[in-house]
Amino acid sequence: MNHIKLLFFATIRDRAGTKSMEMDIPADMTILQLKEKLGADYPNLKESMKSVLITINREYAFDEAVVPTSAEIALFPPVSGG
Amino acid sequence: MQPSNQPTIYSITESEIDLNDLLAKITLTSTGAAAIFTGMVRGVTSRGDAHQTEYLEYESYIPMAEAKMKQVAEEIRERWPVVEGIAIVQRIGKLYPKTPTVLIACTAAHRDTGVFDAARYGIDRLKEIVPVWKKEVGPDGQEWVEGDYIPKPGE
Repeated sequence: MNHIKLLFFATIRDRAGTKSMEMDIPADMTILQLKEKLGADYPNLKESMKSVLITINREYAFDEAVVPTSAEIALFPPVSGG
Repeated sequence: MQPSNQPTIYSITESEIDLNDLLAKITLTSTGAAAIFTGMVRGVTSRGDAHQTEYLEYESYIPMAEAKMKQVAEEIRERWPVVEGIAIVQRIGKLYPKTPTVLIACTAAHRDTGVFDAARYGIDRLKEIVPVWKKEVGPDGQEWVEGDYIPKPGE
């Protein structure tokens, strides 16, 4: 198992109802599989998983990437700073 | 390698943006020009969906945002090696109309060096890849503002 930290921002945080959580996932889980798991475990997040941006250890990450050991994963909508 | 005397400032802050202080920090003895972009909270919007804004509430994924601001500064230096100093600052928290929220400043020896384009690139890039979001609160309620840029691998 891989123990990871999840961070949520903006609309995703509102829908998740929390800023962060920790989770155990299988060692070879990909970002796509993680999104599917979150959508299944947290129905409020299901719709958001289609357009969410994801980072692994503070770098943008994509569906095929395997979640590294003890990763810090963040989920958020397209950015709107300025 | 950039010479060590070329200052690069990047930060997410809850404090007021101090333009004079930042400008002093990115001005070298060889500097003769600075291009500064600053954005502020717009209370009345008439372009597009006309509406009023009471305040904006900004939040950020701070450690990643500061790393991405550093990356934006590095991209500026790759494209405009003549740029001397760079300051990139995003203010977060609850910010009211007329309040400056972001500042990008680039300095160079002369104004015809691309320094205007460098500052323009900086704000455009910040709005693409730096993880900051704002919630807009107005007379009709509140709504998260979402961007439309999807970063590519390596960004």
